[in-house]
Amino acid sequence: MTNFSNSATVRMNGDPTRLEAWDHFVQVGLPSTKDEVWRYAPLHDFSLDQFASFEPLTNNAISARAAELLSGPSVHIVDGVVKSSNLPAGVTITSSTTPTTLDRSPVVERYAADTFALLAIALAPETLTLRIAPQTRLSQSIALVHETTAGVNFSLTQIVVGEGSYASFVEYFDGAPDALVVPLSEYSVAENASLEVITCQRLAHSAWHIARSTGYLERAASLQQSIIGLGAHYNRSRNDAHLLGAGAVNELRTTFLGSGTQVHDFRTRQYHVAGRTDSRLLSKGAVAGDSRCVYTGLIEIEKGAKRTDARQTNHNLLLSSTAHADSVPNLDIRENDVMCAHASTVGPLDELQRWYLESRGVPPREAERLLIEGFFTEMLVGAPAEIISGVSEDVTRVLSEELVG
Amino acid sequence: MSELVITDLRAEVAGKEVLKGISLTMKSGEVHAIMGPNGSGKSTLAHVLSAHPGYKVLGGTVTLDGVNLLELGASERARAGLMLAMQQPVEVPGVRPIDLLVAAGASGDAVENMRHEAERVGLRGDLLERFVNVDLSGGEKKRAEMVQLAVLKPKFAILDEIDSGLDVDALHAVGERLSAATREWNCGLLAITHFRRLLDVLAPDVIHVMSAGKIVASGGPELAEILERDGYEPFKV
Repeated sequence: MTNFSNSATVRMNGDPTRLEAWDHFVQVGLPSTKDEVWRYAPLHDFSLDQFASFEPLTNNAISARAAELLSGPSVHIVDGVVKSSNLPAGVTITSSTTPTTLDRSPVVERYAADTFALLAIALAPETLTLRIAPQTRLSQSIALVHETTAGVNFSLTQIVVGEGSYASFVEYFDGAPDALVVPLSEYSVAENASLEVITCQRLAHSAWHIARSTGYLERAASLQQSIIGLGAHYNRSRNDAHLLGAGAVNELRTTFLGSGTQVHDFRTRQYHVAGRTDSRLLSKGAVAGDSRCVYTGLIEIEKGAKRTDARQTNHNLLLSSTAHADSVPNLDIRENDVMCAHASTVGPLDELQRWYLESRGVPPREAERLLIEGFFTEMLVGAPAEIISGVSEDVTRVLSEELVG
Repeated sequence: MSELVITDLRAEVAGKEVLKGISLTMKSGEVHAIMGPNGSGKSTLAHVLSAHPGYKVLGGTVTLDGVNLLELGASERARAGLMLAMQQPVEVPGVRPIDLLVAAGASGDAVENMRHEAERVGLRGDLLERFVNVDLSGGEKKRAEMVQLAVLKPKFAILDEIDSGLDVDALHAVGERLSAATREWNCGLLAITHFRRLLDVLAPDVIHVMSAGKIVASGGPELAEILERDGYEPFKV
């Protein structure tokens, strides 16, 4: 890890919080597949020294899709640093070189057990904070476009939505061949406020993507989050919501498409602290080739969080006989007066639906494409055209690579 | 002029022989009806002709203008000119009618043709925005099948109890559209039905009676009257 450590030392530049995070990271160490929560990760071919280049390797990594997203209200973030922003009234952007958290506890303590979060705290160039003023209703979505030009991209992003406000964001990651991309995000949604975030990860298949987000929801706040995972060799996405105020609602949709030897590893934690809080989780993905997906969802309900309503649904589509899908729902309930439900399905494309389309003259491969795209449709509601077309392109590519069925 | 020729077609489902040698020839623009008691193999015939999964052909041939359809997959059969309109059209969540039609090879302005045909059969325009057959009533589904048929214009259409569960207005709309198809592009119709009321609209040239997997009688429209009067009992084998 010498090369990586050397680059890290330069990046931390003696900042005490960063050094503290690094010390914790050294103590915790890299995970191994013996850890239950990492058992599906291809860690045997992972070494931090692969990613020791903290300086740009290329000057221009921006894709046409990213450029299109940047043409409207947006923030362009390169290797974790804000390069430019175009924001509507009511939205402010600040960046701090000292890492911070929206949680009540200090940042290192908050993520003390999480190796990659600690690395992000130690090594993200800055903490980017977007604030939406109270009683502001944004009519247009803001794009957060992440570009990776170096061998690593650690980023810390915070979105703070003021009381009674509404905002929506589209986060987009692509490119980053051979890079390690570790975004750590936090969303704070104040009373009666509403936030929608669509995160689309379409990195190169040689990249590693290890993301984590946490939503903090106050009274009657709403967080609607949609995670679309298409790229990366290993795609890990942990998405938590802390429902802190009564009447808070969290809707989380996670979706993915796997091919080759990709691993999509989704982790969720819906933490119900206050009563009358709702969480709705829908995970839907398709795996082809030798790819694998894992969905591990935890619903945690604190004592006193009466009349909580928490639901998880997970549907996986197997597009080859060598693809794998695992679904692991978990419940940790310390209150009796609650409603929890879980539903899960896994299987190939529906034979009758496929036949019906073919019986109209739709060629078999085209029928598969329509059905797979159809499977993703409900997951892409509200997504901009650039993202929908990216999913469609990937479905077509996967079908051309794989002999489905 | 096209010709659909079924010769000694035998097929099984779940290991049981259900079609025991069906032979039938029809030409463009002709309307043939197949009637018969429950379990006589009518719907099996429709499904076997359209390569429905779960059916196994044991013998015989089906040719459309000399091409053996039984050697083709469902999609190729449709492209060769044979289309099935179903009693219970399959719901396909996530797929829009226009995408189905374009992928099925609809020629010309598919959007305009689809809208025009929807109007002709009284299918509300906004229903075309729903996914294929999802959240449609039984009558709307049958009308939607007619829209597909009219946009794709097959040489021969097999109608599998398309009249079941239709109210008078829907039956009229569906029947009129099918009759017009025989004139507009000389579409041949093979209508499987239990009911005379569809035949009153379609005016078939030939009526076949099926029983126990075979065609046991064929004749003109008078056969429908005999069936109406005497039932299937005299035809049972």
